[in-house]
Amino acid sequence: MKRQNVPQLLGALIVVFFVAFPFVYSGGNYDYIMHICIIGFFYAILASSWSMLAGYAGQFSFGHMAFMGLGAYTTALLCHYFFLSPEPTGICTEFAIGGHYLIVKNPIGVTSTTLTQDCLAQAMDKWNGTVEVTPMPVWLGIILGTVVGGIFGLLIGLLVLRLRAAYLALFTLGFSEILRATISAEIQITRGQAGLELPSLFENGITIAGHFFSKTDKIPPYFVMLFLLLGCLAVLYWLSQSRFGLFVRALREDQDAAAALGVNTTRYKVLVFVVTSSMAALAGTVYAHYVTIITPNNLMILQMSLVVAMAVIAGVESFIAAAIGAILIEFILEMLRTSFSIGGVTVDMTLWRLVFFGVVLMLTLRFARNGLLVPIIDFFTRGHVAAETVARRSDETAKTQNRETQS
Amino acid sequence: MIELSVSRLNKRFGGNHVLKDVSFDISGAEMVGLIGPNGAGKTTLTNVLDGAVKPNSGTVYLNGTRIDQLPSFEVAKAGLGRTFQVTRSFRRMTVLENLYVPAMAQGRSHKSAEVQEEALEVLDFLTMAHLRNEYARALSGGQQKLLELGRLLMLDPDVIILDEPFAGVHPKLMEVIYEYIRRVNERGKAMIIISHQMDSIFALCKRLLVLNYGDLIADDTPEKVKNDPVVIEAYLGTTEDRSGTGQHDDETRSTDG
Repeated sequence: MKRQNVPQLLGALIVVFFVAFPFVYSGGNYDYIMHICIIGFFYAILASSWSMLAGYAGQFSFGHMAFMGLGAYTTALLCHYFFLSPEPTGICTEFAIGGHYLIVKNPIGVTSTTLTQDCLAQAMDKWNGTVEVTPMPVWLGIILGTVVGGIFGLLIGLLVLRLRAAYLALFTLGFSEILRATISAEIQITRGQAGLELPSLFENGITIAGHFFSKTDKIPPYFVMLFLLLGCLAVLYWLSQSRFGLFVRALREDQDAAAALGVNTTRYKVLVFVVTSSMAALAGTVYAHYVTIITPNNLMILQMSLVVAMAVIAGVESFIAAAIGAILIEFILEMLRTSFSIGGVTVDMTLWRLVFFGVVLMLTLRFARNGLLVPIIDFFTRGHVAAETVARRSDETAKTQNRETQS
Repeated sequence: MIELSVSRLNKRFGGNHVLKDVSFDISGAEMVGLIGPNGAGKTTLTNVLDGAVKPNSGTVYLNGTRIDQLPSFEVAKAGLGRTFQVTRSFRRMTVLENLYVPAMAQGRSHKSAEVQEEALEVLDFLTMAHLRNEYARALSGGQQKLLELGRLLMLDPDVIILDEPFAGVHPKLMEVIYEYIRRVNERGKAMIIISHQMDSIFALCKRLLVLNYGDLIADDTPEKVKNDPVVIEAYLGTTEDRSGTGQHDDETRSTDG
């Protein structure tokens, strides 16, 4: 086997490992470990798509978690406020669609439901179980959340066309904070810090191959998030190998030179924002339906820093490295929660683990700017290049000498 | 036949009038030198021609298509390519990938045998075939300059503007660049060469444009330009200075024009 094929083989083994893992792992902390895996996959989608944006295209955006939040809040708001009913309530905002009514609940903010009921709850009381309303399907919320993320990606992409480096970072940071502040402030609609509850990914459970999984079972969301990650990685791989990948890298290296060679830099800069923000929004929608609550804290700069750190520590110029790094770091951060004592002094690792993480980030930036995983991948994929160059040069020199001798 | 027509171009940056009613035409496979002291407007003219900077007034037509309001990538597709004064290779991309960018921007695929062969031919010609899989950042300054020229071969434009192709290049590499210019010109391409190296410009070009603080003060053969008192006053210096090899110019006017 060629050395260049080792990463592909390792990648296939990692995929097989994660597909088999839920069926072979039988520890007492099964649900907890599965939860870490699901969250690890979630961060892997974010870190790998951010790697395409920042590492490949050079667009150092701090707005990635905002797109995640946009997706999550879109599906949360749709699921919270929109219902389909065969009967009109007469008190909600409603639109006749075919033989049904699209009910839009009135926002009541954060209040005790025993004191204030929304219009649909009042109507349901009145109907006394005779009318069954249909909530927004989760899959539709996921699709619409992804689309909204993509639309905002398009708008932000257009707005930052002329911005580079620190200005782009500050702009996207501002966008992210404005979004978070808006969600926090619009308590009446978004319930502010109290957060919005969502239905579970499989609210009524799901039967797969004759086996019923309840809505709290970890296996269905595990595979949804895993296949979502694999799907995103497949799309990113395809993009990286195509015209798109070559052009966004040229864009990162020198926008003006790329344009002078015929690359429509505007189109590709906007496109990379649309693609990556859609992925972040998609991850956000599924995450929100998995944890069944979304709050403005999910959009905090600390969360964005975590994604950036995961990608940077693993290697921002490879989305594969970023994805693997995200899963590993999520595991390490969870494992580091265990506190310990030194000479009677207890070290509270729930706090100190982040310090450890920060130190690793700083050391990586200082001593391994390509990250910790990218040099390993490069060793296998590009380790042969130097020797090839030397061999080709020797060949060319020999040919030249032969020609000179003959003449 | 190639027709580049520049008419009454004006460009101002604030109160600085950098191009003043600049007009000239290039037709066929002409090789034109563009010279002038620093601040003359040479690079601004290049930027306006390639669409990176929009002129305040005036027009540029290439083969009958107006290009002065087009973005850079459309100007490139219309048939005008350029290099930069300071080499701008895609440093974290391989040499081959650098060459694939212009080919793919024209809708060709880097996976096609035709494009791959063409890229290798270009590298062979530039004596860099052995470096094909190296990152551009691993190349020397001279090799990066050659790579930039190679990208233009892959773009295959009708008009090529070379901004200081001989600056900081050792004699052996200079030979490769000379050969490049001759071969590209033989393919029927028009070229505008910006340089402070008078020997090279006089040897290669049969026509010189001289810019001086935004004014096109001469458009003639090298012999006539050399003896034009306005040009001597503005750029070439005294007769004693010109008797040398142009070293004086290189040393004193080495920065952006």
